[in-house]
Amino acid sequence: MRVFKMAWRNVWRNRRRTIVTIAAMSLALFSMIQYSGLMTGYLHGMERNILDLEMGDIQIFASDYLDKPSIYNRIENPGDLIKKLEAAGYHASGRLKGGGLAAGENSSAGAVFRGVDPGQDASVSDVYKHVLRGEWLDVGEPAGIVIGRRLALSLDVDVGDEVVVLSQAADGSMANDLFKVQGVLKSIGEEVDRGGIYMIDQTFRELMVVPDGVHQIIVRKPPTVPLDKATDEVASIADGADTRSWRQLTPTLASMLDSSRGAMYFMFVIVFLAIAIVILNAMLMAVFERIREFGILKAIGVAPWVVFKTVITETIIQTGLAIAAGGILSIPAAIYLSTYGINLSSMSGASIMGIAWDPIWKSSFSVQTFTGPVVMLAAIVLMAALYPALKAAFIRPVAAMHHR
Amino acid sequence: MNAENPKPIIVLENLVKIYRQGKLEVPAVRGVNLEIKSGEFTAISGPSGSGKTTVLNIIGALDDPTDGKVFVEGIHLASLSRSALSKLRRDRIGFVFQAYNLIPVLTAFENAEIVLALQGVAVKDRRERVMGLLADVGLEGMEHRRPDQLSGGQQQRVAIARAIASNPAVVLADEPTANVDSSTAEKLLSIMEKLNRKQHVTFVFSTHDQKVMDRARRIIHLVDGKISNDEIRE
Repeated sequence: MRVFKMAWRNVWRNRRRTIVTIAAMSLALFSMIQYSGLMTGYLHGMERNILDLEMGDIQIFASDYLDKPSIYNRIENPGDLIKKLEAAGYHASGRLKGGGLAAGENSSAGAVFRGVDPGQDASVSDVYKHVLRGEWLDVGEPAGIVIGRRLALSLDVDVGDEVVVLSQAADGSMANDLFKVQGVLKSIGEEVDRGGIYMIDQTFRELMVVPDGVHQIIVRKPPTVPLDKATDEVASIADGADTRSWRQLTPTLASMLDSSRGAMYFMFVIVFLAIAIVILNAMLMAVFERIREFGILKAIGVAPWVVFKTVITETIIQTGLAIAAGGILSIPAAIYLSTYGINLSSMSGASIMGIAWDPIWKSSFSVQTFTGPVVMLAAIVLMAALYPALKAAFIRPVAAMHHR
Repeated sequence: MNAENPKPIIVLENLVKIYRQGKLEVPAVRGVNLEIKSGEFTAISGPSGSGKTTVLNIIGALDDPTDGKVFVEGIHLASLSRSALSKLRRDRIGFVFQAYNLIPVLTAFENAEIVLALQGVAVKDRRERVMGLLADVGLEGMEHRRPDQLSGGQQQRVAIARAIASNPAVVLADEPTANVDSSTAEKLLSIMEKLNRKQHVTFVFSTHDQKVMDRARRIIHLVDGKISNDEIRE
């Protein structure tokens, strides 16, 4: 029997209901594709901010640095270690860290100084791209510093202003010097925003009297290498040092990202369950208003399986049209959201668990962003259609034909 | 088949049907014994509630008896599975209903063709058969019309064509003239009579229409679920 032809004609018998049902499914699919893209974008953005601006994939410290973060606990001969890491396919750069006081003309605040080699650091961090005003560090300007945006507000300084830095140097002497604000950073993270001062590594060494060694080495792995595997490999190269992945260094943040992914799937299920109820309702209406017809089909000898197939085919037709409509509508929206994003400038500077949140919220799309919601929609709709289809298939002909 | 003494194609033995509505039991058929032979043109008559439709539904395997036995072409219906009953209805029984009961999304041709398509008859053969039948029932040129584009009488003709398309052993017609005017009823009866005489299709009607009873060659009268009279008018 021409099941498809009959199902197709049945679908368009109640045009308005069919259009409403298809529209509901399309809208759900459209919403879920965009939601999936935005959530993926948000999670990628968060992860990117964590890794690209602050942490890298892996960090190496002197063995007891994390327990006793002190200017004296340093990795000696970092150059050799960095060469070994680069030979193994990793990017790595050393950083110096120390704390002290920063003072503007009228106020002062606690600060964390970071000494970096601008050339080498660019291979492991994008912080140099996140300058809000002014310029990033320049080895030709050893007295130039780049500071966090909130620190700039606290000190009431801006690009071109002078900042005095005070601390205790490694040799026990008073470290103090006058620096010029060369740049103010965009929001990076709580620690950098409130107290971060970036300076040239050589400047740091002179200020803090640290002639050699570094306090941490930031390592970036090739994208294809899994984090755990890379951490193990880096640990074996940096034997005797303390090697940690970013997930080990910030477990709460890592688990928040994981649970956000879980929440995204949970949201999928809730929305699609709501859609399943719409479909179930539509299919039940479609079946019950034709119950006499199913009785007739059964009476003239149509097998239950064929009746079942007819109702399921009607569902497949509607779902197919909804997927086509939802999918086609999603493409331009996805292109727009991944190119321009949603401007949340009013929340500029906001951070989540100390990690900066990009005020332009962009979507991130992949094949899975589309196929995930499509497969879920199809599965849930078919499940919702099962009961009406079985009901139609196994109805007793005489009861069906007397149905009013 | 012996034309002089044809075999019974339907046999009812002590048929009982009781409908249950909660605790209330409503007996519809009370011990009906009946034989219908091939080629008969039989009317089951009686007042409303006498059990005519129930008997027809049970013969057609649309409903189960509470007690008693039903044989169609010698097959005891109670011994068949649901799918076997479905196949029996498809291959050996044709139905004509009071309310026509055509499939609204199918054309006249497709409605008449549906059983043959289910049987897997080749497209060419079923086209030939159905076009011939539609011509026999006077619907030439109307094969592409859907039921809502046909009058009640025309719809019932499509239903008759559908019922006999697969050469069934028997056509069960439940009040086939109840929803049409008297001139259409006469035409429908003439068509069925012609099919009975020329193609030897066995017809069993449930009716209280005098026109049907006038044409029937056997009238079984039911009262309160029992046969009160069985008249053969050959």
